[in-house]
Amino acid sequence: MDHSRKMIAGLGSLALAAAGTVAFATSALASGSVTVGITTALSGPIAELGQTGLQAIELAAADANAKGGVLGKQVKVVSADSNLSPATGATNVRNFILDNHAVAIFGPVSSAVAVAEEGVAAKYKTPIFFSTSNDVKLATTNYTKYMFQVVPDTHMEPAAVARYLADAVGKKHITIATITPDYSFGRDTVASFLKSLKADGVNYTVKAQETPKLGASQYTSYIAALIAAHPDYTFMGQFGGDLVTLTKQAEGFGFFKHTKPMAMYGRAQLKALKGKVPAGAIAWDRAPFWAMKGPGMEKFSEAYNAKYHEWPSAWAVMGYTAFETWAQGVEKAHSFNGDKVSAALSGATIKTIRGPITLRACDHQGDVGEYVGTIAAKVNPKYGFQTYAHSKLIPAKDIILSCKITTAEQPKS
Amino acid sequence: MNLQVIVIEGLSAMTTAASLFIIAAGLSLIFGALRVINVAHGTLYMYGAYFMATLFAASGSGWLFWVGLLVAPLFVAAIGAIAEVTLLRRVYERDHLVQLLVTYSLFLILSDLALRFWGTASLSANQPPSLSGAAMVGGVMFPAYDLFVIGCAVAMGLALWALLGRTMLGWKIRAAVEDPETLAASGTNVKRLFTLVFAIGSGLAGFGGAVIAPLQSVDPGMGQSVIVSAFIVAVIGGLGSIAGAAIGATLIGIVEAVGIFYLPSWAPAFIFVAMIVVLAVRPVGLMGQKLGY
Repeated sequence: MDHSRKMIAGLGSLALAAAGTVAFATSALASGSVTVGITTALSGPIAELGQTGLQAIELAAADANAKGGVLGKQVKVVSADSNLSPATGATNVRNFILDNHAVAIFGPVSSAVAVAEEGVAAKYKTPIFFSTSNDVKLATTNYTKYMFQVVPDTHMEPAAVARYLADAVGKKHITIATITPDYSFGRDTVASFLKSLKADGVNYTVKAQETPKLGASQYTSYIAALIAAHPDYTFMGQFGGDLVTLTKQAEGFGFFKHTKPMAMYGRAQLKALKGKVPAGAIAWDRAPFWAMKGPGMEKFSEAYNAKYHEWPSAWAVMGYTAFETWAQGVEKAHSFNGDKVSAALSGATIKTIRGPITLRACDHQGDVGEYVGTIAAKVNPKYGFQTYAHSKLIPAKDIILSCKITTAEQPKS
Repeated sequence: MNLQVIVIEGLSAMTTAASLFIIAAGLSLIFGALRVINVAHGTLYMYGAYFMATLFAASGSGWLFWVGLLVAPLFVAAIGAIAEVTLLRRVYERDHLVQLLVTYSLFLILSDLALRFWGTASLSANQPPSLSGAAMVGGVMFPAYDLFVIGCAVAMGLALWALLGRTMLGWKIRAAVEDPETLAASGTNVKRLFTLVFAIGSGLAGFGGAVIAPLQSVDPGMGQSVIVSAFIVAVIGGLGSIAGAAIGATLIGIVEAVGIFYLPSWAPAFIFVAMIVVLAVRPVGLMGQKLGY
């Protein structure tokens, strides 16, 4: 065997080794208990999203078990790392269902992984809940009746930001630059944002569009190009650690003195940036606990903080909601059967810590809005990070795609 | 393109080049002396960054930055030395496939340990107050910390040049590459020398992580994302050549900056195009030498 063959064989071995780094908790369908599985990113650059989602689902299961369980049965949670790989995610779902007898699946961070997991869950007629991945394809071209989404999709989120900006600038002409990761989520988000701006009648000109790779560690050349463009507003599609890196490096150039940044500043980024997020920046988050009113949210955030010694991320809030959705579906169906739970949830309104959520019968997309606001100048002393000074919920009815549009793209069979 | 834009684009390219060189230099040093492709190098870099971020989280004090710059490389060098003695020493005589699997295993083990110790949340290290502002260069405002990174890369390059070319240790390292048996016969403990080289290479990774930490998010994926760029730089420059790593990093920095300015949507691909062109013209890299196997 020559060197190149050995190398190919070696890389194949490495790939298999990576796929095999999944560890399952031992569990089986025992009398008096049922199992649910969560397969998500638990390692790598976006592990924080998956980990906090998992923690919230475990908390939700513990809360349900303390109240006597779901339909009288204690709920066990098994988890596995999807390694950001569609193949691994699909394998995890299959193993959960066949080996652990899981009666429901909670999905991943990456939409590419979610698509793979959605297909396997449907094959085994098992409900799957998406609380972080949000590609609109999950409820359209890849739709199955076992899928439920309690997160604003890739159309709703940028549409909400566009609506907020439209309200802020009125008829004034503005210039915009965009910088977003070079993959489908980033490109789709920017395209949807600009399309929504046009639909909302905003008079704008795009001055520059940059697409650094996902997980980039150096943005200086991109920032230099943005500075040369002199935009009034800069839409930053980065998220997680990428947004922290971009903000730190752009701040060093004084870039934010000349443009108003717009980005998805959530709990983790606000905490990591330690009060250095530019005050007045337009920010959005899918479920910022500090902006969401109601005793349910307050109780949840305090309980989460007490258990994990940190305030919940949006991924945690939505993970908890996903569990609530499944549990109420089971109660409504009086069964753990996937077909019955799916039928019970389709079109149903669920009571959650975020308030009531209706899952549309046409595509199982929850009518969840997006929170958009501006970054406060000072760190909130209770939470230890900047929150939003002014935030408003852009309601789902203003940004959700119509059932006519989504069903037209769904598989016909 | 006016003069101000040229200055800012030029400095940005140099910052990118400096960051890449800081990471790739240790990788190249280890390959040059030990002929080992260290896949775990990015993880060692991550440990340097975590060390710096942890130091800041514990104190929040600016002067600890300078302590971190000194201690982080030593901390990571110690990890590297332990890994060399316990794992890598046993596979020097084996083929590259085995070495690749061993360093990949090391990458997985170190990544998992970091995840357990530091968790999944992003950490952050502040810049020291003396370097946190902007400086005027050629009539444009440029981050002082970025200039510091460029300075660190130049200092590192000069230090490595002096180490390898002007000291007895450097002479022994070069002799060990050419003929380890003869070097051992002359009374040098080659095993200890290899441990030292691996520790120095690891320490450089740790230093890189500590320097770069205030510029970016410190999270579990940072080692993975950087290792590919470091390999591209090392391959373009010629694996094993420190001067090659410097030239490769500069080339990538310039190609990326020009690409971003003129064809932004294609910019990420330009780096790979540059690598393909260099390897097509000179398969051993710009400053590389054909290996004797």
